[in-house]
Amino acid sequence: MQKKVACSFPDEVLEHVFSFIQSDKDRNAVSMVCKSWYEIERWCRRKIFIGNCYAVSPRMVIRRFPKVRSIELKGKPHFADFNLVPDGWGGYVLPWIAEMAGAYPWLEEIRLKRMVVTDECLELIAKSFKNFKVLVLFSCEGFSTDGLAAIAASCMNLRELDLRDSDVDDLGGHWLSHFPETYTSLVSLNSSCLGSDEVSLSALERLVGRCTNLRTLRLNRAVPLDKIANILGRAPQLVDFGTGTYGADLQSDVFSSLAGAFSSCKELRSLSGFWDVVPAYLPAIYPVCSRLTSLNLSYVTIQSPDLVKLLRHCPSLQRLLVLDYIEDSGLEALSSSCKDLQELRVFPSDPFGEEPNVSLTEQGLVSVCLACPKLQSVLYFCRRMSNVALVTIAQNCPNLTRFRLCIIEPRTADFLTLEPLDVGFGAIVEHCKDLRRLSLSGLLTDRVFEYIGRYAKKLEMLSVAFAGESDLGLHHVLSGCESLRKLEIRDCPFGDKALLANAAKLETMRSLWMSSCAVSFGACKLLGQKMPRLNVEVIDESGPPDSRPDSCPVDKLYIYRSVAGPRFDMPPFVWTMDEDSALQVS
Amino acid sequence: MELQLGLALPTPPPFDTNGSCSSSSSSSGGGGGTKKRRCFDAESRVGVVPKTLHLLVWNTDRSDDGDEPRDLDDNSFSSVVLNEEEGLVGWPPVKAWRKKPRRHNGRPNNNRTAAPMNSCGGCRASNSTYVKVKLEGNAIARKIDLSVHHSFESLTATLMTMFDISDEHQQKSFKLAYQDRDGDWLLAEDVPWRTFIRSLKCIKLIRSRSC
Repeated sequence: MQKKVACSFPDEVLEHVFSFIQSDKDRNAVSMVCKSWYEIERWCRRKIFIGNCYAVSPRMVIRRFPKVRSIELKGKPHFADFNLVPDGWGGYVLPWIAEMAGAYPWLEEIRLKRMVVTDECLELIAKSFKNFKVLVLFSCEGFSTDGLAAIAASCMNLRELDLRDSDVDDLGGHWLSHFPETYTSLVSLNSSCLGSDEVSLSALERLVGRCTNLRTLRLNRAVPLDKIANILGRAPQLVDFGTGTYGADLQSDVFSSLAGAFSSCKELRSLSGFWDVVPAYLPAIYPVCSRLTSLNLSYVTIQSPDLVKLLRHCPSLQRLLVLDYIEDSGLEALSSSCKDLQELRVFPSDPFGEEPNVSLTEQGLVSVCLACPKLQSVLYFCRRMSNVALVTIAQNCPNLTRFRLCIIEPRTADFLTLEPLDVGFGAIVEHCKDLRRLSLSGLLTDRVFEYIGRYAKKLEMLSVAFAGESDLGLHHVLSGCESLRKLEIRDCPFGDKALLANAAKLETMRSLWMSSCAVSFGACKLLGQKMPRLNVEVIDESGPPDSRPDSCPVDKLYIYRSVAGPRFDMPPFVWTMDEDSALQVS
Repeated sequence: MELQLGLALPTPPPFDTNGSCSSSSSSSGGGGGTKKRRCFDAESRVGVVPKTLHLLVWNTDRSDDGDEPRDLDDNSFSSVVLNEEEGLVGWPPVKAWRKKPRRHNGRPNNNRTAAPMNSCGGCRASNSTYVKVKLEGNAIARKIDLSVHHSFESLTATLMTMFDISDEHQQKSFKLAYQDRDGDWLLAEDVPWRTFIRSLKCIKLIRSRSC
């Protein structure tokens, strides 16, 4: 039979063509064209992203993609960041490492987010992958610096070691000395989350000195200010630098060597760290400020005038993370200095205080949105908001892709009109047509969800808390948001109806989290029974849910699609609703 | 409210559900005014309700639910989870410090007022549940996470696996010893689990004949 033209290319040609296709979506599309393309593609796929480690098993991945060099895995749900997921829930990476140790001897990159990583895992990585290059542990936990020592000692080709936000048992800085003296490949090191007061400064300095390709170096708080000059002096090629402690008694010689060290860093574009800042030392960074594109001041507890003085030196700033000490006046100044701003995150200095401790309101955000046309990503904590402010933001920043607003007191109404903020958020979703991520807060009825369902067609992730009135709200979102992948809800009056009516939608999403809502145990069982490709997990620390009537609401619910079936590593407080769940008729 | 399962589905849904509107009057319009729950529009269709789903039908006694947004505070299903020490659990959504018991350092956890979402606290002193464990005769110390163990049996079992002591006879020849905060070495079998957990600094597996 005559082959069609498309299939008459030799496999090597197709493989070469496919090597230019990097994005997962495109790769998936390629693999579905025909059987031979599926086969060729799977043998040459080098990079895998798995957004939920329980959606698929390691064996399945290995079976389909035998030659993977780079893997990214995510474990716990996002709300784990806020202590809503009890310890021991899961997200263990060891089964993956164990399988890959045998199947992917040439694995180069492992990137993990919210997973439990043990020293045993790190030791296994160190001894199994001869060409290991990149280890990123984002918000992970379960390991100590002993595990890092094993990586340092064995991975001669290591380029990147990034521990950002991980909870590490820091036994002191001696792990750094496990990098052999012959090791020079380091390009990126982020150990800013390490908590011990001890750090081996001499090992650090020697490491930095001999790794001439080092581009990113983020130190932890234990590194004192007077050592920065020495370290920077050995790495003037740095692009991204995170200081340790940035405070000390002011000494002019320390200041001048610090300023000198910074000015020799011509490539520096990003600064972070700055624990315990003494304002008098901030001018030392002025030599690099004009070129800075990213500045993380989220540990800087200084007042607005000092912050403004610094920011006025940074006209090229694209990304700013700052505490609400900046206040409305500081944000106003920011908006006139930094016209290229693309991302702004303002964190609360006193999140649990009853009264506002700073003069930061919706005005600050509005002034930035009015003046910075390139703004795309916002995370803003404040204590009051109005519909008119949100409408202004929406109309002036139609390019927003991420908008996360946290009004600290739940169910806070529009402070001007005392109405819900439905119209304001409705304007956001209507005008910002490329919005991919949205977090809601304040007083909200079902109406806001009607707007979201109608307009937010590109929305991929939605976070909802203390909002809505009835199941209709949830139904609007599930039936209207075509691109929805992740939905996380807490303390909302959403029950069984919307969930059951939209059960099929859940298979098109990565996951759904609902806690302190009104979903009954019976509905969970029904979902688990009828939807075999969903894992329906009930989390309840107060005891087995079947010791209560089916109509009782469950405490926490996590539903995710999976081709691997129910997981087997659940702790005692997690119950999976599978096909065998019998419904009780009471 | 009448909803059909899987409105957007190409394949027929496995089951339908319906409930009834507790109030048929439409919204009085405008924000802040009284809002009755709206009936869903004509796209929905009444389907067959399996008997079991009656357990899940909306409790129509709570017809005041949707009336005043502020009344939501009274409804049990949206009751706020109060953690007595902290107020609301996980709210505001700032990345919280982990609260595991500390093992290695006596340093207190610096309680900073700023807890930014995006960055990890470098001030956080070592506060995990890992302890060093050595096997007598073996130079290399290992680490074990005590928080996953609640009994000597499970701890010993894990230690045996960790040090590859699979032979039962061999297993019996080891005893679990620990060094407490005062620096004294004691036998674990002499104390209750809770005492052991609270006072230990590190663990050693020693051969029985040497005790």
